[in-house]
Amino acid sequence: MAMMRYAEALNLALREEMARDDSVFVFGEDVAAYGGVFKVTQGLAEAFGDRVRDTPISEQTLTAMAVTAAMAGSRPVLEIMYADFLPLSLDALINQASVYHYIWNGQVSMPFVLRTQGGGGVGTGAQHAKSLDAMVAHVPGLKVVAPVTPADARALLKAAIRDPHPVIFLEHKLLYNLRGEVPEEDDAPGEIGRARLVREGGDVSIFATSRMVLEAEKAADDLAGDGIAAEVIDLRSLRPLDLGAITASVAKTNHAVVVNEGWRFCGYTAELAATIMDRAFDDLDAPVERVATRDMPIPYAETLEREVIPDAAAIAAAARRALA
Amino acid sequence: MATPITIGAAAGEYMEAVLVTEWRARPGDRVRAGDVVAVVETAKAATEVEAPCDGVLGRIAAGEGGEVAIDTPLGFILAEGEDEGEAETAGEPEYAAASDPAPETRQATPMPAPARQPGGRVVASPVARRLARAAGLDLSHLAGSGPRGRIKRRDVEAALAAAPGVDAALPVVLLHGFAADAAIWSALAAELGRDRALLRPELPGHGKAPPPPGAGFNGLVAPMLEWLDAQQAARLHLVGHSLGGAVALALAGQRPGRIASLTLIAPAGLGPGIDGEALAGICRATHPESLLPWLRRLVADPGLIGDDYARAAMAGRGAALRAAQTALAGRLFPDGTQGFDLRPVLAGVDVPLRLIWGREDAILPWRQALAAPGHAGLHLLPGTGHMPHVEAPQLVARILREVLAAAQSGGGDRA
Repeated sequence: MAMMRYAEALNLALREEMARDDSVFVFGEDVAAYGGVFKVTQGLAEAFGDRVRDTPISEQTLTAMAVTAAMAGSRPVLEIMYADFLPLSLDALINQASVYHYIWNGQVSMPFVLRTQGGGGVGTGAQHAKSLDAMVAHVPGLKVVAPVTPADARALLKAAIRDPHPVIFLEHKLLYNLRGEVPEEDDAPGEIGRARLVREGGDVSIFATSRMVLEAEKAADDLAGDGIAAEVIDLRSLRPLDLGAITASVAKTNHAVVVNEGWRFCGYTAELAATIMDRAFDDLDAPVERVATRDMPIPYAETLEREVIPDAAAIAAAARRALA
Repeated sequence: MATPITIGAAAGEYMEAVLVTEWRARPGDRVRAGDVVAVVETAKAATEVEAPCDGVLGRIAAGEGGEVAIDTPLGFILAEGEDEGEAETAGEPEYAAASDPAPETRQATPMPAPARQPGGRVVASPVARRLARAAGLDLSHLAGSGPRGRIKRRDVEAALAAAPGVDAALPVVLLHGFAADAAIWSALAAELGRDRALLRPELPGHGKAPPPPGAGFNGLVAPMLEWLDAQQAARLHLVGHSLGGAVALALAGQRPGRIASLTLIAPAGLGPGIDGEALAGICRATHPESLLPWLRRLVADPGLIGDDYARAAMAGRGAALRAAQTALAGRLFPDGTQGFDLRPVLAGVDVPLRLIWGREDAILPWRQALAAPGHAGLHLLPGTGHMPHVEAPQLVARILREVLAAAQSGGGDRA
């Protein structure tokens, strides 16, 4: 085991996969000479030469390039600097990457990874703090993962790179400095589609994604003070969903809180709530409580931003509403 | 004399009652014959109810949201100058019972009010409905403690606990064996049916559970004890298989008051003998081909375990899990011997106790069951190996139902 930061764990995964497979290459804005604005690709250009490339600012072109490179047999890893710019990538994702395998009857595979980071909490404003998880998770043919721990960041990035289908890899700007144990000796890729039981409890299940898992853990601490045992589950994979983990937990606790940093309306929490009703209706003892970002642009001022983006207090309040 | 407003032919012949959704006139309003005074919901549609004569709308007998029998007036129309008092005496005694469907309910449960929506629908959470249905409990007379009077699980459980003779719906805990996980119970769970609350926690170092925090058997029991203590139900039925049977037994020993019954399926901990070769083989296997022969040793009929089964089992056995289980096996079963002895605990079990063992068990010999105290029941299954819940789920479910019924009818009330 080694302690490392989330960004370092991602860097390790990229190095390992590039060393393992010559067809893996990394490109995006400022990823080579500068080492990435969040330092995820630091040192890769020195180690792997022109397999790490800086590009102009044109996310639409970059995503189309990733699609064609993947079709031609490479395994591109594209970095989109902010998830806020995902809309520029959407045509290539929705009309190309996600459908070619299907419309050409499996003759084409699409092994590419789009890494990006979203989320707020540090006053980056309405154009650099969004979580557009639902926008990509909506698309059949795309896998969407969002690891929280450094160990998962490494294992799931490796799994994403090896996956024959396009994977949207969602990071969070407040996770990059998070430190955690990473089992360096075990370099097996993770499994996309498996949730992680963060904390076991019998009273209420909190299903969260990305940084909201950390807030859910704080909420669980708060609830424990009132004798409420909250079960916290890190979904890790937004699509495909670990339905077994979700239904098993709801069967146990009969109460569900779903948390995602995206907007509430038509958001990822809406999908989770509907899924729980579809799959576990007879196990519910209360309506599923949704915790999501308010339906408005993210304010620049951090005091206002805190009112808009969910936190531990909002999650704990939702759990108490469910248990009322 | 007040003229009753009735639903007439609007309701249709399938219905006994309709729901009043709207009153278009208020008491004191002047109405003419043929005016729409109210709207009712019938089986087919919303239907308008017309005033039968000219006059002034008097008392409304069935307000908005009320359910009313089709032969009962919705309200009354008074002649010009007629006063309410006459109408009261004219109409009320005759129709009082019909317009107030459940006066005794109100007296029986003063506060909070029964969780009924307009129209008589009971407002209860899905799990509350499911548990009530399973126990044959009528929710319509139950008070709900949730938001807006919703009946929640706790209300059903409280009602069941207060009513003797009905299924107390205590949850059943299923503890899997070494190197298995919660999925091993799926066949038995299907036999037991959805209406039984089943809890399937995973042992430390198995499935999705983290490795045990401490060495030895107690390292395995401590987190499960913590889990048990966190359970809401006052008491639980414990079922354990193999190593999970030993854990169940240890839990019963430490928390006798929380256990309603104990069912041990080929449990570990009742003697030194165990097939160490099979344990080692399962821990060691990194391929479906090397796992398959050891899995087949678990059952009497090797045909039950095919290549697909071994592949699926292997897929769930990642390197970290294998390492954790290998370490655990080394501590629990050193040199192919059971390194812990729960026979003294078994002797002290006071709740309804059954042991289920396959006569063809190649992993743990069934004769270890002879350590059980006299009040225990022993089921020896012919043609069955180490996995009765997989090999004979119907029979195991039948035995379990007997145990649960016996415990509920008083046998488990010692706590």
